[in-house]
Amino acid sequence: MKRTLNRLICSASILLASYVLGSCTPSPSTSSSDTTDATSPPAASGSSEQIVLAVGGESDEGYDPTLGWGRYGSPLFQSTLLRRDEDLNIVNDLATGYTVSEDGLTWTVTIREDVLFSDGEPLTAEDVAYTFEQAAQSGGLNDLTMLEEAIATDTYTVEFRLTEPQSTFVNRLITLGIVPEHAYGEDYGRNPIGSGPYQLVQWDEGQQLIVEVNPNYYNEPPSIERLVFLFLEEDAAFAAAQAEQVQVVSVPQALAVQNVEGMTLYDVTSVDNRGLMFPYVPTSAGKTTPDGDPIGNDVTADLAIRQAINYAVDRQALVDGVLEGYGSPAYGPVSGLAWEEESAKIEDAQVGQAQAILAEGGWVDSNNDGLLEKEGMEATFTLLYPASDSTRQALALSVAEMLKPIGIQANVEGRSWDEIEPAMHSNVVLFGWGSHDQTEMYNLYHSQSAQGDFYNTGYYANQAIDDVLDLAMGAPSEAEAIAFWKASQWDGQKGFTAQGDAAWAWLVNLDHTYFVSDCLDIGQPQVEPHGHGWPITANIAQWTWTCD
Amino acid sequence: MTLIPPQAPLRRSRLQRLTLSRRQQTLWVIGLCSLFLLGIILSTWIIGDTGLNPILAQRNQSPSLDHPFGTDWLGRDMLSRSLHGMSLSLRVGLLAATISAFIGSSLGLAAGTLGGWVDAVITWIVDVFFSLPHLVLLILIAFAVGGGTTGVVVAVALTHWTSLARVIRAEVLQVNSSDYVQLSHRLGRSPLWIARHHMIPHIIPQLLVGLILLFPHAILHEAALSFIGIGLSPHIPAIGIILAESMRHLSTGYWWLGVMPGVLLLLAVKAFDWLGENLRDLLDPKTSQG
Repeated sequence: MKRTLNRLICSASILLASYVLGSCTPSPSTSSSDTTDATSPPAASGSSEQIVLAVGGESDEGYDPTLGWGRYGSPLFQSTLLRRDEDLNIVNDLATGYTVSEDGLTWTVTIREDVLFSDGEPLTAEDVAYTFEQAAQSGGLNDLTMLEEAIATDTYTVEFRLTEPQSTFVNRLITLGIVPEHAYGEDYGRNPIGSGPYQLVQWDEGQQLIVEVNPNYYNEPPSIERLVFLFLEEDAAFAAAQAEQVQVVSVPQALAVQNVEGMTLYDVTSVDNRGLMFPYVPTSAGKTTPDGDPIGNDVTADLAIRQAINYAVDRQALVDGVLEGYGSPAYGPVSGLAWEEESAKIEDAQVGQAQAILAEGGWVDSNNDGLLEKEGMEATFTLLYPASDSTRQALALSVAEMLKPIGIQANVEGRSWDEIEPAMHSNVVLFGWGSHDQTEMYNLYHSQSAQGDFYNTGYYANQAIDDVLDLAMGAPSEAEAIAFWKASQWDGQKGFTAQGDAAWAWLVNLDHTYFVSDCLDIGQPQVEPHGHGWPITANIAQWTWTCD
Repeated sequence: MTLIPPQAPLRRSRLQRLTLSRRQQTLWVIGLCSLFLLGIILSTWIIGDTGLNPILAQRNQSPSLDHPFGTDWLGRDMLSRSLHGMSLSLRVGLLAATISAFIGSSLGLAAGTLGGWVDAVITWIVDVFFSLPHLVLLILIAFAVGGGTTGVVVAVALTHWTSLARVIRAEVLQVNSSDYVQLSHRLGRSPLWIARHHMIPHIIPQLLVGLILLFPHAILHEAALSFIGIGLSPHIPAIGIILAESMRHLSTGYWWLGVMPGVLLLLAVKAFDWLGENLRDLLDPKTSQG
């Protein structure tokens, strides 16, 4: 009996040890020591020939833009018609110019004539049209529902015909990487050929991705020859940075307070936000999603509850406490972008005001248990967060703590995404969004986008807001749409932010924190979108190695 | 010379007192271990939920008088978290050990007394359980019943009875071949009567010690399962989750997050071990008079 016990303790400690080791092993030095393969990288320490990055996970579905790779911008292997510069202004990339017809239905784009794919074939308007048609058909993560057809009118001119005017269509030109028609097939996602600054050399799924400069790149060639992306867990990535194995590493905010010798902390502002999504309709409506999942929550369907939470939460305390100061309070979904409505911001951490709102809404603590009631219903709800995300866990727990003084109880539960999906229309969920594309805001708040998936999970519906959003969407250009985008947030009478319908309680915008080798000049990073993909690589062609 | 004689009896008497108090010593160890473990189980009722809630202002504090185990990245008191985790582990262990004892003793008794095909089937089931890696079996069962705390409890409870069943079967077979049992058979006593009157008194000490030594297994397996996650919310204070979380902070030097709960786990497991050993000394006729 005793021997088995000892064996058990042994195996438990081996298990523990293997976890520690397992998270550290996929480093480039180990793979190069046992193979002499030309494609495996030499022992890591940066140079202008190679740098190693650990800036987040891989794209499981591969690197096919038509399926959603690079949908938040900067697809790396492919290039886009337009792009946003570091101040988020729209500038030409593949395109030499574009015009929109009077009725807003036809977009004509002319493209450069000197562009070759990495396999040496020229990039023509046919490829552009093919890419857009393909993306529209594949039903991936690109929203091209308004695209009727894309036609190459001559070798270097492409015409997009829309079914309805769409001011956000320009974002498709910014994010959709162009794929070659001649080399596109089933396994394109694993062998991406494109016209971007880098081309794929090797992808070891779950471990690393190696890319090298595309010799046919049409702009100034990048000065760093080879990039190695390592897919490491947060703590392993940090340990690798301390061991000088990586030159660029993204770290969670909690680790950003540490010092790493020979590296500088880059604190990049982002629109990567976190907020509480409230189910908007009461359960009495008895609605279900197309998949049969329940919709609605009686507590959060009450405006007083949603507004009180918005006013009670101390966002600055969340930024300081959870994000170690690397972030900013969020009052809406588009903080820091040109279409953010400044007047939608509120004075928060107002417990008194929150209590007044609740009292006015009919919520009283009739049995003195510290919890409010209204018509026999207690002010309590379940707050779900994805179990794998420690920042959201911290936010959820802290917010629940902040709601106690106003008599609202949030029962925090961490679950996997698979478990959250069926429950996300009837429970409060700690979601994260953030895009340079206003379509996202449209989809989060328009009643028509509530279709049982991740857009408008709370089934928020307000006809007046729908109208304003439709006006913004139908505006002829991004600049003209901005006034409507702002009005949808708060126009003095109505809006979806805290003073209006308070459909969400936005909490914080994360800063993305990176440690970058002192020898590496990464220029001025742009305001980054939500963390899918590798937003830091948006200007990678300008990165230079300064030591040698 | 004159000094030595008075000392010798003193030394002997001290020695004598020590040897004489072997039983007392055993009882003391049993008492202290039970008190320690009972204290952990009951601690959650005494301290309640205080310390489990995040207080952002006091995060990442090293051990101090206010927080003997330090605080974690959300300012939660690690002592209360560890105690809650240990208490959960012990309760899971208690449940698992009780269920295992029940299954193990009834199957062991059945196999030993009934013999024949019953024995063959039960031995076969035990062998099947033994042939599967225990941790894999645990994970499979935990997932099959839907994960979460229930998953962990069911998995731990259903997989620890095999060794106990085996020990009891062997014991029963041994008793079965003794003369007075054979005589009972000849006298026409039913197997049930024999099991109740001849077997159970013999296997009770075995069962008791086996039961207590099952605890450390169950606790460590609960820790291992919660370490992997298995559907438990990551903020639930379970000892495995606490240890898994502490690994994220290894590189940042917050040693107390892993060391303190780890030491507590070690102590609890060791306490059961001591408890079992001393109880065996007390119950086993070979050592009980020593």
